[in-house]
Amino acid sequence: MTGAKVTTTLSDTAAAVAADPTPRPRLSVIVPLYNEQESIRPLYAAIVQALGDIGCTFEMVFVDDGSRDDTAEIARQIARFDSRLRLVKFRRNYGQTPAMAAGIEHARGEILVTMDGDLQNDPADIKLLLEQIEAGYDIVVGWRHNRQDKLVTRKIPSRIANVLIGKVTGVPIRDNGCSLKAFRADLIKSIPLYSEMHRFIPAMASIAGPRVAQIRVRHHARRYGQSKYGLSRIYKVLLDLMVIKTVTTFASRPLRWFALLSVPLFLCAFVMLAHTFVSLVTDRSALSLPLAGTGIIFLASATILLCSGALAELIYSRGDIRDNEFFRLTQTIQRHPSDKRKAPTEPVTTITS
Amino acid sequence: MSTQPLNPSLPSISVIVPVCGRRSELRSLYTQYKAGVDAVGLPFEFIFVIDGDRTDALQTLESMLHEGEDLTVISLTRSFGEAAALMAGFERASGSVILTLPAYYQIEAQDIPKLVAALGSSDMAIGYRSPRYGNMLDRMRRSAYHGLVNFVTGSRLQDIGCGARAMRRQVFEEMDLYGDQHRFMAILAARLGFRVSEVAMRQSPQDRLHRVYRPKEYAHYVLDLFSIFFLTRFTKRPLRFFGMLGAATFGLGAAVIAFLSVQRLFFDEKLADRPALLLGALLVVLGMQVFALGLLGELIIFTHARGMKDYRVQEVIQYPETVTSSVEVTDVEPAEGRNNEIRHTAPPAMTA
Repeated sequence: MTGAKVTTTLSDTAAAVAADPTPRPRLSVIVPLYNEQESIRPLYAAIVQALGDIGCTFEMVFVDDGSRDDTAEIARQIARFDSRLRLVKFRRNYGQTPAMAAGIEHARGEILVTMDGDLQNDPADIKLLLEQIEAGYDIVVGWRHNRQDKLVTRKIPSRIANVLIGKVTGVPIRDNGCSLKAFRADLIKSIPLYSEMHRFIPAMASIAGPRVAQIRVRHHARRYGQSKYGLSRIYKVLLDLMVIKTVTTFASRPLRWFALLSVPLFLCAFVMLAHTFVSLVTDRSALSLPLAGTGIIFLASATILLCSGALAELIYSRGDIRDNEFFRLTQTIQRHPSDKRKAPTEPVTTITS
Repeated sequence: MSTQPLNPSLPSISVIVPVCGRRSELRSLYTQYKAGVDAVGLPFEFIFVIDGDRTDALQTLESMLHEGEDLTVISLTRSFGEAAALMAGFERASGSVILTLPAYYQIEAQDIPKLVAALGSSDMAIGYRSPRYGNMLDRMRRSAYHGLVNFVTGSRLQDIGCGARAMRRQVFEEMDLYGDQHRFMAILAARLGFRVSEVAMRQSPQDRLHRVYRPKEYAHYVLDLFSIFFLTRFTKRPLRFFGMLGAATFGLGAAVIAFLSVQRLFFDEKLADRPALLLGALLVVLGMQVFALGLLGELIIFTHARGMKDYRVQEVIQYPETVTSSVEVTDVEPAEGRNNEIRHTAPPAMTA
């Protein structure tokens, strides 16, 4: 059943591509933009210059995330001159993940590169990422060398978060916050992106078992506009991390996971109720009401957790997204002829050049 | 009025009147509305949706049809609620502007052109009754409720109970209403990124009567508030809400149990004699349950993520290729910035 689903989605995109008169480009550069009216022209120039001698067709997908300044208008002017620019315009501001998701949805290339719209990434690095994709990796992420940001509010929290994310998700990436990443289009288009998950794309994609490489990229200080981040996102990151962890590891067998959660409760309940029962039989004066009550509460709770697990199983079986679907996806990717390297044994390969 | 169906590509108005529980005499109401809509000067159609078994309304409308009035009457098999009635009416509507009007005297029909005119600068216009009648208590109650709704949803509306709304067709197309959500139409439209404006409309004299609110209605209002709260805040990330709540409860319970354990270990108070143990265990367990609920919510979101989109794209802009040469884009190295001059260079493979 899931197999049928995969083929329909694939044929849908194939039909969409076939309906499009222009040939499918090899590379798509996706840039979410929010109030970047000063940056957009230099950014466009830099991308075009960096990709001028890249040797394959490319397109740019600019996503205007409901900017309140002239970003959309300037982008439209550029698009009028350059048919390789596709502008996706949101009606209001939705945030970076939806902007990325929309860009990925509307990109037609075989390889997708995402980057920030604030000129802090260097488009010249796209070439390096592309080389690694050609070498057989599914995802290549950049890590910002010599990062040009404030230490206390940006760099230190980010470093802690990166270590934590690496430990929890098992995808140890040095710099999750770096937007400069490259993906194989078939892979990333099938990964569900929602909420604020752009930071966790590699972790989220790990359900498909991709080969991930990371590579050092340049980072520039912010020239125009201001940072759209603050410290307030920490607790959101923590909760999102928990979601990713559960979803990527336990999504396919929710009942087992909930059952695991209820085991300690069952044990506690058993011990307490056994104590109550024994004292009931032997020595009535030793009977403890609070202990018996706690045992009953634990027993009830464990039962409800088990029922929740059954409910989760139901939700999963009725849902659209299954693990085995991603498994199929990896298979097709690995059949690509450009596999020269052996599949790496580590989850992430760091490439130093 | 023409009897031909309206063409949505031309400016035209579809008026949808959901006939639900509260309703006035429809014949005179229709005459007033018709005069009001006629004053706009666009072709229009009237659609009455009868929500369930309202025999008197159906009879009136049928006799109006026999008299040759040009209107559409949709009768729902049972009562589905006002939002469903609006959706059913919209299915038949073919105007470029959708106008919903209440089935009772709420606003003066002469103000309808004002409401439609507001669409010139916005995508949706909702009326608010001004000046509004009512005593001190009514006013306080209203402002308290609207204050709460606005606080929760981050909107700035003065009268969400007003049934007079005008909107572009597209707004309705993107909306998926159910239950009592018609009240929050303006809020939902704003969340979809449409521009919403409010238009002052005179209150009808018949709407001035003093209404007695029973506890049931208060309960409805509170539940509405809850539903819009969840709809706007937590439908995309349930674990944010349930996780916080669950973690707080769990933490409290753990603290109680830790306190008891310390007393047991160092002050030799028997754990089994403490009723507070019950409280601690209950809180810990409750925290876990709430957290598990949040995870269930996340699982629902995850397994359906492909079907639901977080965002609405207004337009995709891409201009067609202007260069008519057979040279591929690959081989073109564009100049810096605006590349209206395009140089053709050899492919890099050959130069290398």
